[in-house]
Amino acid sequence: MTNSIGEIRDADVLFVIGSNTSEAHPIIAMEMKRAVKRGATLIVADPRAVWMTTIAEKHLQLKPGTDVWLLNAMAHVIIEEGLTDDAFIAENTEGFDAVRERVKSYTPEEAEKVTGIAADDIRFAARKYATTEKAGIYYTLGITEHTHGTDNVYALANLVLMTGHLGKPSSGMNPLRGQNNVQGANDAGATPVFYPGYQHVTDPEAQAKYEAAWGVELSPEPGLDLNVMMKEVGKSIFGLFVMGEDILLSEPNVKKLEEGMNRCEFLVLQDAFMNETARFADVIFPASVFAEKEGVFTNSERRVQRIRKAVEPPGQARADWEILTSLANACGADWSYSGADEIYDEIAKHAPSFAGISHARIDSEVHRGKTGIQWPCPTPEHPGTVYLHENGVMRGKGLFSAVDYRPSNELPDEEYGLFLSTGRTLYHYNCATQTRRESGLDEKQPENFIEIHPRDAKKRGISTDDRVEVSTRRGAVEVRAIVSRQVRPGCTWMPLHFAESRANLLTNDAGDAVTNTAEYKVCAAEVKRIAAKDSETPRFPGTYYSVTGPN
Amino acid sequence: MIQETQIRINGEKHSFRPGETILDVAGRAGVEIPTLCHDPRLKPAGACRTCLVEVEGQRKLLPACATPATTDMAVVSESERVDRHRKTLLALYATDHPSNREASERGAPDELLDMIENYRAPTDWGAMASVRANRHDDRNPYIHFEPDTCILCARCTRYCDEVEAVSAITLAGRGSETTISTVDGLSLLDTSCEMCGGCIDVCPTGAMGEKMPLTRGDKPERELEKVRSTCNFCGVGCQVDLNVDREADDGAGRIVKVTSPPTGTTTNDGNLCVKGRFAYDFVHHPDRLKVPLVRGADGEFYETSWEDALQKAAAGLQGVSERHGKNGLGFVSSSRCTVEENYLVQKLSRAVFGTNNVHQCAAT
Ligand code: SF4
Ligand code: SF4
Ligand code: FES
Repeated sequence: MTNSIGEIRDADVLFVIGSNTSEAHPIIAMEMKRAVKRGATLIVADPRAVWMTTIAEKHLQLKPGTDVWLLNAMAHVIIEEGLTDDAFIAENTEGFDAVRERVKSYTPEEAEKVTGIAADDIRFAARKYATTEKAGIYYTLGITEHTHGTDNVYALANLVLMTGHLGKPSSGMNPLRGQNNVQGANDAGATPVFYPGYQHVTDPEAQAKYEAAWGVELSPEPGLDLNVMMKEVGKSIFGLFVMGEDILLSEPNVKKLEEGMNRCEFLVLQDAFMNETARFADVIFPASVFAEKEGVFTNSERRVQRIRKAVEPPGQARADWEILTSLANACGADWSYSGADEIYDEIAKHAPSFAGISHARIDSEVHRGKTGIQWPCPTPEHPGTVYLHENGVMRGKGLFSAVDYRPSNELPDEEYGLFLSTGRTLYHYNCATQTRRESGLDEKQPENFIEIHPRDAKKRGISTDDRVEVSTRRGAVEVRAIVSRQVRPGCTWMPLHFAESRANLLTNDAGDAVTNTAEYKVCAAEVKRIAAKDSETPRFPGTYYSVTGPN
Repeated sequence: MIQETQIRINGEKHSFRPGETILDVAGRAGVEIPTLCHDPRLKPAGACRTCLVEVEGQRKLLPACATPATTDMAVVSESERVDRHRKTLLALYATDHPSNREASERGAPDELLDMIENYRAPTDWGAMASVRANRHDDRNPYIHFEPDTCILCARCTRYCDEVEAVSAITLAGRGSETTISTVDGLSLLDTSCEMCGGCIDVCPTGAMGEKMPLTRGDKPERELEKVRSTCNFCGVGCQVDLNVDREADDGAGRIVKVTSPPTGTTTNDGNLCVKGRFAYDFVHHPDRLKVPLVRGADGEFYETSWEDALQKAAAGLQGVSERHGKNGLGFVSSSRCTVEENYLVQKLSRAVFGTNNVHQCAAT
C-alpha cells in the first residue's frame, strides 16, 4: 500500500476494484464504511455484487477479466476531458505519450460492449476519480489473479500517475494483501529473485554482500517462482521443503501437481496440522502457531508488528525458527540464533529498508499508542514511512505503461458455458486448516457452495441447496448451489476453502505473463444438477449468500 | 488551517480544535470524567448522564461527551454538585444491576461496578427485578447477552449500526421491558450479523459477553493475562490481546478469549472481525501435530525423535541435491509464518542448498 489504513477514513473517493473488502479485509471495510458515512463516494468495480456495493454510489459490474478495458476507457475519458495533472506528469513521470495514444481507441462506448458497464458509468467513475483530490484506489487478488494481472496493475497505475494521485494522504494505489504476512515474506526474501529488502539476486553487489554475510558462495541465477516450481515437480524438481502451507489445496490445477508429486523423491513438511500435502511427505515436523512464538508480521501498509509467545506449543512441537535452525545445522551449517529478535537484527543489518527496526524498538513504542514501524525505516531514529512516494515518485520517475486488453486464457464455450471465479468468504480463511477447526465458523458456512445466477440456474433446472457437479477441463467437484443475483448472468463463483471439494481441482494454472500468478479468477466451467436438496432447513443460515441479491 | 482556541477545565487552560467536545479535551488533558454510553467510535448519544459537568453560566449540568468545547468556556468536572449528581445516578443504576461481580462479570469486567465503588455511590436503595427479555436460546456460538447487567446505553446497537453497518441488533420493547434484541428475536446466526463481536467490545458492563468461555467455565477476564500480539489471518494486521489463563493445561497456558486493544491505540482502532476475535480454537485443537513423523518402508507414518527426523530430512534433501543438482530442490515458505522464519527458509535454500528456488505460497 502506498497509503496507511488510518488514511482511508479521510478519503473523498474510494475506487475499489476486484476486492470483496467486507469479507476479505473486514477492518479495512469498516474504515471505508466510515468514509462513506462521512460523505465519501465509493465506486466498486466487481463482477459480483459484493456487500460493499450495497453502500456504493456506483457498482461497475464488469464481465470477468475485462478490467483493462474498463481502466483504459477511464483513462480515455480523463485525457479527453482534460482532467490530467499535467504538472505532475511533466515532473514525475515518463512515457505518458504512449499511453495517450494507446487509450485513444478505448472509448467508453466500445468499453460498454466488452465490459457490460454503461458508458456513462465509466465516465462518472473517471471524472469523480480524476477531479477529487483525496481519491484512493484499493485492489486485491481480483486484479492480480489473471493471466493479464500485471496489465491490470499497470492500467491502474496509469490512472494514478496521470491524475497525480500519489504521495498525498488518502490518495494512492493500495493493494490489500490477502494473508497476514505476504508483505513480510516478500520483504524477507522468500522470493526467487530477491534477497531480503528487494535486493536482486542478479545484482553482483547484493550477491557479494550476502556471500560475505553468510560466508558461502551464492547463485546469481534467479530461481523458479511458485507456479513454475509446481509445474516442474517431478520434471526438474525432485525434492521439496514446504513450511506452513498446503500446496495441494491452494495450488491451481492440483491434479497435474499430484501427478508430479508421485515422481517427487523427497518431501519435508513443517506444519501445525496434517494436511493434504502430507500424503506425499517423507518427514513431518510439528510446528507452532502464531500464539506460541516470538517474531514479526508485516501488514499491507508495510507496518512491522510483533507477535508474542502467549502459550507453550503442544507436545514436542517447536517454533518454526528453531526447527529451521536445527535443520540447517543437521545439513552442516553453523547457525546459532538465541531468538527471533536476533534473526531480525541479521535481516536489518543487510537490508537498508529495515535497518532502523528491531524487536526492542517495536516493544519500547507499544505503550505510546503506536504499534509497529512502517518501513522504509533506515535508521533507529527514523520514524518510519507513512505513505510511499511523498515528494515525487520513489526510484526516479514513475513509468507509464501502455497496455492492451487480452482476453483471459480460457473463456466459456459450448462445452463449458459459464465463467467460474473463486475467492474467499468472511467465515473461512484460505486453506482453512485453522478456520475449519472452529465450530462456530463451520456453523455459518458448513460446506462448499457455488453461486449461480437465476437465469443460468433455471436453464439447468437448479434451485438453491441442490447438489450440483461443477466441472472444468481439469476436474470436477460436488457442491451445493446457491441461486443468487450476486453474480452476473453467465458467471459463477465458488469459495476455495474446502478440502473435500477443492475449487483448485477446477482452476486454471496458466500464469500471468510477468509474475506467473495463476489465473484463479477466471476459467470456463459447467454446472449440472445431481440431486435435489435433502432438507428444508437452509444450509447457509443468515449469510448474505442465501438472499437473492444485495438488500 | 487549524484554529487553536482555549477552554478552561477546573481552572486550567487547554487548547482545543473546532469540533472537539469537552470530553475530548479533558481526555487529552488527563482530566478524568466518567462515561458509560460514550465511545470514540460512535456519535455522542448523551444518554447515560454519567459524564455531566458544570459549565459556567449554565443552570443545568451538561454532558461532557455531547457538548462541544467553545472559546473561553469554563468547565468544572469535580465539585460538590457534580459529585452529588454522580452518586445519585450511580445509586439508581445500582438498584437494577447485580452487585456481586461473579454474577455480573460473566462477560467482561463491569465498568459500572467499578464506578459505583470509585465514586462511593450508595448501594442500599433497594433492588428492582429486571423484566427484560433474554435470548438465551440463541444458538449462535459466540455472543451471549445477559439482560440483567444491561444498562441500555445502546453502545452495542449503535456500534452495529454506525461501525459494522449491518444493524443486526436493536433496542426492543418499551419502558422497563426495553432490551437488546434482533428482528423477531431471531438467533444472530439468522440475521445480518457478521459476528464481529464489536457489541461485546463496546459494552461497558459485560452484558454482551463471549459465549465460549462461559460454556467452558473459564476464569473471568480479570484473572487472565493479556499478551499483545498481531492477528494471524488477513493482511490488515490487527492488534489483538490474547487473554491467557497461565495455569491451565499444566502450566502450558491456554487462550481463553481474544480482545481488541483500546480504541485509538492501534490500526484497527478497537475493532476486530469474526476471525480475529473468535477463531482461536485451532491453537488448542486436539488435531495439532505434537511429535515428529517419518514415513516407514511400509508407507505408514511413525513417530520419532527430533534427532532422527532432522537427520532423515537433511539426508533426504541432500540426496536429491546430489542426484539432480542444486536446482532439483524447491523451498516453499509461508506468508502465515513470521518474517524471521521466511528469512531463514530463503537462507536455508540459498546459503545451505545453493538454489534460488524459494517462494512463499500465495505470492501476491
Ligand atoms: S457481532 Fe457485530 S454484527 Fe453481530 S450484532 Fe454484534 S456488532 Fe452487530
Ligand atoms: S448490552 Fe451492553 S452495550 Fe448494549 S445497551 Fe446493554 S449495557 Fe449497553
Ligand atoms: S457518556 Fe456522556 S451521556 Fe453517557
